[in-house]
Amino acid sequence: MTEAGAQEIRIRRVFDAPRELVWKAWTEPEQLAQWWGPPGWTTPLDLITMDVRPGGAFRLTGISEDGAEMPQDGVYREVVEPERLVLEESAENNWHEGAVSVVTFTDLGDGRTEMVSHMTIHTTEEMRERAEAGVSGSLDRLAQHLEAR
Amino acid sequence: MAVDQLSSTFSALADPTRRAILARLAQGEATVNELAEPFPITLQAVSKHLKVLERAGLITRGRSAQLRPSRLQGEALKEVADWVAEYRGFWEDRFDRLGDHLQEIQRGRSGQ
Repeated sequence: MTEAGAQEIRIRRVFDAPRELVWKAWTEPEQLAQWWGPPGWTTPLDLITMDVRPGGAFRLTGISEDGAEMPQDGVYREVVEPERLVLEESAENNWHEGAVSVVTFTDLGDGRTEMVSHMTIHTTEEMRERAEAGVSGSLDRLAQHLEAR
Repeated sequence: MAVDQLSSTFSALADPTRRAILARLAQGEATVNELAEPFPITLQAVSKHLKVLERAGLITRGRSAQLRPSRLQGEALKEVADWVAEYRGFWEDRFDRLGDHLQEIQRGRSGQ
């Protein structure tokens, strides 16, 4: 079910790795730094804060090759080791109006792990209603104009 | 749009001053001085914002003219408009790297 003003993205993956390992890749900063990326960006360990428990905060700062910073802030809503992680990304410093990811890990019993990531992203419709709505609103109109062309 | 490009585009759009600059450029090209006018910030700060926008592919800047007027680049914005597909791709790539990472640490383990 999609609520108004939100978009959902669901991605399923099966990894050839035991569930504990997949869980650690998500919850240990040393490991997260290895894959979080994206390419051309690093996530330096000293710029990662992860308090992996319900209500605990996380903050990751990506650094691009030419020094641009992209911080991501949020809170762990649920931490059920090793099967379920719910992260809420804050809207602050972000291009969206907040996003919630529910990530589940299922042991397939043969050494593989199924991971399902279900994201709910609050969209730019809400952005339009914000104080600087005039600004982003005109950008949206511009994008629509370009789309229609 | 490549994933790193998408990241820098989203990152560029996250800043209210940069969004305001883009909105101004939607009305037509402008110089650094013209762009700086409505903001209580220095020309250097505006230049820095322009550099971010340029890197994100959201604007182009004149090379020859001394004033280097900035111009909106529609393509990147159009792709941002279709951000759900882009964002999904961004996460798919991230999970590809997670898969590679899991392979690597297991190789490291068995080698020990």
